[in-house]
Amino acid sequence: MLEEALGHLVRGIVDHPDDVSVSTRSQRRGSVLLVRVHPEDMGRVIGRAGRTASALRTVVGALSTDGPVRIDFLDVDER
Amino acid sequence: MSEKILETEGDIAADYLEGLLDIADLDGDIDIDVEGSRAQVSIVEANPGDLKSLVGKDGKVLESLQELARLAATRETGERSRLMLDVAGFRAERKTTLTALANEAIERVTASGESISLDPMNAFERKVVHDAVAAAGLASSSDGEEPKRYVVVSPAS
Repeated sequence: MLEEALGHLVRGIVDHPDDVSVSTRSQRRGSVLLVRVHPEDMGRVIGRAGRTASALRTVVGALSTDGPVRIDFLDVDER
Repeated sequence: MSEKILETEGDIAADYLEGLLDIADLDGDIDIDVEGSRAQVSIVEANPGDLKSLVGKDGKVLESLQELARLAATRETGERSRLMLDVAGFRAERKTTLTALANEAIERVTASGESISLDPMNAFERKVVHDAVAAAGLASSSDGEEPKRYVVVSPAS
């Protein structure tokens, strides 16, 4: 559900919604939601002084049943 | 900004938030209104407590949701959105409390003729206080830096 919610929130604020994808990567210290966006939208999802990224983390964290969620943003060309 | 754009802003924000409620399986009705020169979007709870998570401690999640809804509206209209979001009546309730607090300060300033500094508040909260002070015919200003910015209520000049 968190992946889907995050995808929805990001698609609504970018210029290239079709390029948005969200996946979960498991790491030793819990899982991370990876958001991929079009390179031109990178600034949009981060926002001034990281404000938008922080808003996304706050909302997704509030929907999570097991505490804070790590979210990383990548552009579609990165791995 | 034209009434038409404000209505469009409200509609976009409502769709955006409705989509989130569906995904998160949360129950809520969305009301759209234009108040003053801003679109006002409210998510109303079906049952008390249903939307507690979307308000968060001190309204922190609500502020984040408002920020995202503004960005969604701005992207569609091309005009910077200043829409106000409320969830579960949080802001409405906060407004009542703050208006009472402002009125108390107004009485004290009127009686003593001296300025009073209030506790730090966020932008929404300061606006409620400024509006109440202006309505009473007194003067107010904001001082200090975010997040410790606060309102000073002064006698009518």
